[in-house]
Parts: sequence; C-alpha cells; structure tokens
Amino acid sequence: MDRRRMFELRRTVVCLLLVPIYGLVCRNALGAADGGSVSIGALKQLSIEELMNLDVTSVSKQPEPYGQAPAAIQVITQNEIRRSGASSIPEALRLADNLDVAQQNSHDWSISARGFNTALANKLLVLIDGRTVYTPLFSGVFWNVQDYLLKDIDRIEVISGPGGTLWGANAVNGVINISSKSAKDTQGGYLEAGGGEPGLKSFAGVRYGGTLAPDIYFRAYGKYFDRGNEVYANGNNASDSWNMRQGGFRVDSYASPGNVLTVQGDLYGSDLNVAAGGAGSSSGGNVLGRWSHVISDDSNTSLQLYYDRTHLADPITNQFGTAKVLTDDLDTYDLDFQHHIRLNERNRVAWGLGYRFTHDVVDPAQNLTFLPPTLNRNLYSGFVQDEVMLVKDLFFTVGTKLEHNDYTGFEWEPSGRLQWNIAADQMLWSAVSRAVRTPSRVDSDLREPNPLTTILAGDSGFKSETLIAYELGYRARLGSKASASLSMFYNDYDNVRSLSYTPITIVPLFFANNLAGDTYGAELSMDYQIIDQWRLHGGYDLLRERIHVKSGAFDLENALNETEDPQHQFSLRSSLDLPRHIELDGGLRWVDKLIANNNGVPATVPSYFELDVRLGWRPVPKLEFAIVGQNLLHARHPEYGLVSTIPNREDIQRSVYGKVSYGW
Amino acid sequence: MRVRQSSDTFAGLALVLATLLSLVVSALANSTVAASPEYQVKAVFLFNFAQFVEWPPQSFQDAAAPFVIGVLGTDPFGSALEGAVRGETLNGRSFVIERYRSVTEIRHCQILFISRSEAAHVEEISAALVGHSILTVSDIEGSAQGGVMIRFVAESNRIRLRINADAAKAAGLSISSKLLRPAELVTSAG
Repeated sequence: MDRRRMFELRRTVVCLLLVPIYGLVCRNALGAADGGSVSIGALKQLSIEELMNLDVTSVSKQPEPYGQAPAAIQVITQNEIRRSGASSIPEALRLADNLDVAQQNSHDWSISARGFNTALANKLLVLIDGRTVYTPLFSGVFWNVQDYLLKDIDRIEVISGPGGTLWGANAVNGVINISSKSAKDTQGGYLEAGGGEPGLKSFAGVRYGGTLAPDIYFRAYGKYFDRGNEVYANGNNASDSWNMRQGGFRVDSYASPGNVLTVQGDLYGSDLNVAAGGAGSSSGGNVLGRWSHVISDDSNTSLQLYYDRTHLADPITNQFGTAKVLTDDLDTYDLDFQHHIRLNERNRVAWGLGYRFTHDVVDPAQNLTFLPPTLNRNLYSGFVQDEVMLVKDLFFTVGTKLEHNDYTGFEWEPSGRLQWNIAADQMLWSAVSRAVRTPSRVDSDLREPNPLTTILAGDSGFKSETLIAYELGYRARLGSKASASLSMFYNDYDNVRSLSYTPITIVPLFFANNLAGDTYGAELSMDYQIIDQWRLHGGYDLLRERIHVKSGAFDLENALNETEDPQHQFSLRSSLDLPRHIELDGGLRWVDKLIANNNGVPATVPSYFELDVRLGWRPVPKLEFAIVGQNLLHARHPEYGLVSTIPNREDIQRSVYGKVSYGW
Repeated sequence: MRVRQSSDTFAGLALVLATLLSLVVSALANSTVAASPEYQVKAVFLFNFAQFVEWPPQSFQDAAAPFVIGVLGTDPFGSALEGAVRGETLNGRSFVIERYRSVTEIRHCQILFISRSEAAHVEEISAALVGHSILTVSDIEGSAQGGVMIRFVAESNRIRLRINADAAKAAGLSISSKLLRPAELVTSAG
C-alpha cells in the first residue's frame, strides 16, 4: 500500500464514539435528502395512530421538531451512486458537494471537508454501519480497504462541520456515515460483472438474500476487482495496480416486536503494487452486533458491540532508503450504548456511553519506526444532548461529549444549535461547536528512520488540535421541483501540527502545535427536477484558509504542510431518462488549483475540469447494461501531490468500463 | 502559466455562477403549488399501507418489478407521493408512482388511489378491478361501502381510516391488524 508520502520528512507531516443511529443524522436524512418535502420526511416518522391524530391544518408547521438536521448534511442515495457510475466508495463520495476528493494514484485518495486535505488528512470521521474506520496510526482513513457491494449501500450521509458532540474526537471538519441496507431490503439474488481500461480492469460481485425464519432476514455477498496502473506526469507507467477480494454477511431480525437485532461482518484481502517498487498487502475483517430496542413511543435504546481487525504491509519509501515493509496489526473492540427519550412536549434527550480498546502492533520497516512498537489504548466517552423547543418552530439543541483518551486525558466537545423552521419548506439554522483532533501515533510515537538515529520524531507532549466552529445554514424547497441548501462557516483552529527542530543538534525534528488560524467558506447545493425524466444537480464550494505560525513560534514547513486544498470547487450533474429504458448521466466537476507544501515552499497542483458519463440500458427491470467513462476530458490529469519529489506525482488517466448486472 | 491559471479560474467561476443562476431562475419560474397538508398526510398514509398489507406474489410482474402506487383521475398530491416514496424500497422493490386517466390504463398496480374526480364512477371502477389484487383507496364519500377497501374520512381536521376488510380479502390482500386496529371497519352495502 502506498503510504510512503505520509511518513516523509517533506510531507511530514481518537477514540471516538460512534453513534450514527438515532442521532443528528439519521432522522434528518429523511427530510434533507435530495429535495424531498421537508414535512413528508417528518410525517414518515409517525405511526398510523399518530398520523390519524394529526391535525392536518397544522401539518405544515412540522409535526415533529425535526424535518431536517440543523447541520450541513448531504445525502447520497443508492440511486445516485448507481447513476453516477461510481465503482468505489471514494468515487461515490465525489457526489457530495461538501467534500474534496483527490485521487493520488491508483489506490490512494485524499478526502476531507472544509480543508486540511493532505495525504495524512486527519479531520474527518468515517463510519460504515456504525463502525469507525479510521486508523489510529495517523487519525485518517485508508480508503483502499473501505469497500462494500455498492448495490447494497442504502445511503451515504456526509456532514461538513464538527460532529464532536455526538461522534467525538476526529469529527472535526466532518462526518461520513455509510449505511448498508437492511437484509430485509436485499432479498433475492444479484450478480454484476464487467471490466474496462485502464483503470477498472475487471470486477464481479454477487449477493444472495433470504430468510432464516419468519421476520429474520439474511444476505451474503462477495466481490472482487482488479485495477490497473496509473502513470507519472511524464507518462511512464507507475506500476501501482491492485486488486481486492471482499465478502460478508448481514442478518436483521424483526422477530421480536420492539426489537431489531443486527449481526454483520466482512472479510477482505488486497494486494497492492507500490509505484516505487515492492508489493504491499492489506487484509482484515470485522463483526458487529447491534440491538435496538423500543421501550415506548417516546423512548428507545441501542446497544452496539464490534470487533475490527486490520493488517497492513506497506512498503515505505522515503529519503532514508529503498522500500522496506512496515507492517501494522490493529485490533479494535468497541462498545456503545445510547438512549433517546422524549421527556415531555418540549425536550428530547439523547445520551450515551462508549468504550473502545485498541491494540496496535507495528513491526517497523528499517526506515520507519513507532515507539513503542506495541501500544494499547483505552477510550472512555459519554455524551448528553437535549433538543428543546423554545417556541413553536424554534429549536435549540445543546449538548456535549466528554471523553478520556490515553494521550491528552479528558476532552470535551460541546455544541449549541439553533433551528428555525421558517415555513414548511424552509429552514434556517446556526451552530457553534468545539471539536478536537486528539494525537495519533504519528504525532506521538513516530521515529524516522529509527529510534537510535532519529531525524524525525513524534512528541509525547503533542497536544490536541482544537476547533471552534461557527456555522449558518439555510435550506429550502423552491416549488415542487427544486431545492437548495447553503451552508456557511467560520472555523477558528488552534494548536495545529507544526514541525520544530532540536536546538543545537537540529535533529531530531519533532512535531509541535505551533500553528493556528482560521478558515471560512460556503457550500451551495441545488437540485432541480426539470421534468420527471430529467434531473439536474449543481454544487459549489468556497474555502479560504489562513493558517499561520503562532507569534513567537516556529514551523519548518512555514504553515504549509497541513493544507492542500482547492479554494473553489464546482460540480454539475445531469440524470436523464430516455425512451426505451435508456439512462444517460453526466457529471462535470471543476477543482481549483491546490497549494501544496514543497519543503516549506508553496507548490501548485493545477486546476482541472473533468467529466464522467454513464449510459445505462434496462431492457427488462432485472437486467441492466451500463457503460461508464471516467475523467473523459483529458488523457490524464493530476489531482494531488508534487511532481519533483519522492514519490513522484501521478496522473489519473481517462478510463472506461462496462458493466452487466442482473437481479432476481 | 500564471495567465492560464487565472483564466481557468475565471472560466470555472463564470460557469458556476451562470449555472447556479440559471438553476435559480428556472426553479422559480417553474414553481408550482405543492400538495395541501391534507394530501401530504394522505400520501404518507398510502406509503404506509404498502407496509401493512400483504400482496400475493402474482400481483407483481416478477420479483424485481417495482411497487406501483397509482392515482386514478385528477391528482391532488402534487409531488407529495413522489416525496413519500423517494429513496424507499420494500422487500427489495423500488416504488413507482403512476397516474391514470381511466381504469383501462392500469397494468400492474398494487395501491390505487381513486381521486374525487371519479366520484360518479366508483362502483364501475370497483367492478373493473375485481380479480385484481389492487388495494383501492379513496376519500370519496360512501366509497368504502361501495367496495373501495380503504377510505380516508375527515373528522374535525383529522384523517380517519374506514376499512372494508371483506373487499380486501376478496382481492387476496391481507391487511395487518396494526392497520385494522385503529380503523373503523365496514362491509360492502347490499
């Protein structure tokens, strides 16, 4: 796996709760999703009896204080994923206007919200079915081992802005919550296969769902893909092809009234060629159990337990020598409990407790070490949040998370949110939140190239990076065919990672918290259903970053190393249904230039336009043919990195693949 | 290089603004009146019925066929029905909303809402649907006794359900007790 950049001197450069279920996001996804009516999302939460007791003359004022979340949330639906032609989770994430997705090479991506999108991006929290998938090595995500049969993904919720109050440390700039479908909704068989050039060479997937007993549903799936090489800027082959196998299952039981039991698990293995030479591999698996229990109409609980294992063998190339393989074995055990209760007409309270234990073993490459090689970490957390109806249509949500980690002790992440339902189809919201990014092993334990002759070191005194975020947002339906969302933010950061040197001996260089600064920006999304058969989506992102070295302090990287972000991003997507069951979809994106760090001197990744097109045909409902072209505007283009340093920047090539899928 | 960069930026921004502006303008120009709250609630009821009623397998063309909610006559729902089913699936089936001017247009349909515009033809419609496993729903006065399976009844600003369980049974549909319990049960008149 190509993780070389992350430990390089030039590029030098948790613990959390998971809570996706009844939290801020889930219930809001209904209303916020793709232009659906605000109040219909809320109405669907009601039981038949509640619907019958509803005064229909007042429905437009929201039967419940939540049609939409008072947060910058975007929801990517299954249908949008299918019609985009995305073949992986990172590709699907390009559908969220509030993310910056930059592909580094065949198998690595940088993904972040609201800036700080480096190869070591560490301010985004990602969950798959309630399971946190970040690595405590650098508090970021190895995107190339996060996969699923895309057909069975129900939706992806992307929140930009802090989510620390519910999700804890790491949910600094955003939260991505990927949810697979209930086994109940994936009954029957499904087959897909295809291939292309030069990116996605071949792939296949299969799923079967059935019942184990009345009201107990299962599915099992398997998938495989083989992806080709990308190229260097000079056109030479970068030898970074890879392949991956994954399989898994999910069982959902609705057999006992008021209880939903879910058990699911996945296993995967992957072989990755690394451009500079050497073969990496990844493997892992997880198993998760969740019990959701309805106590009454006003009160429900959820208890979740999971185990996750990842193995990583990563050839590390840096200026200290040729590639040597770093292996990392991480075991995670996580327990989470939540209780949601409506205390009275005005107060809805959520609280929860969590515990996580991680056991991380690094077998160091000769040019990269973590000290100690074996590390156990405990994380304890609790949160409480109250949603108060101040007056009709005006809601105030206040809460905090309190957690204890083994690096920095207690951390708290409070937030206050105000939501005003101006009308049935308009909402104005505002929030002030605090979030922290707690130290990772890179920040604390890194010894490069080795503990005896260390040139670059982590610092056990590394502090948490902190953020105070101020947000303002507006969402509206514009008539029956269009909807729009605008979110604006001002983020104030402190104690951001910097690089210092040891007096007199200069080395080891070590990480410190000498940066501070602010960022501001806006995210605009619009959906427009022109006619039943034609839908347009437009998105625009503005981001300004003003990160500086704190007065009297020092950073070898001149405050350039933690950011590599576009100031502007723009996307336009079209989904058109043609006669004879033909679908034509296009996605155009423009990404502004990036300012990258080249040894403390700014370097540039050029801006680019790119276009994806999908042509689909469903001769009968069960059968679908699709041909997908990705990055069609250029033979190849760079999205991330530097041309002249090790590893050399790669270009992403124009690519085409075909796909056949059959469901029964 | 520098020049090219800024012209790229300019082009990008111009495209952004032009597109968003045109989206806003066309959206406003095309604004239509959304469904009344009453029909928003009824749309959600229709969606809920899909989950509380069991259809025989042969009522679907095949295992992958969508679940069809049809509206016969003048459509009072605006986009509320689409809103209610958007992104939803039921046992792996997606939802489709269809609109019919006449009962003869109906091919595969699981739930049929009979609009007030068809008040004069309720009995003909019911007769035409005999032998089909279609859950008929209406808010037309007296329609439940006329063979329509579920009728929305307005009662002091609230929507009640009046269910003709015999008619549903005759069509091979089984209605969950969760739906029957809060409803008023009636039988077909004479």
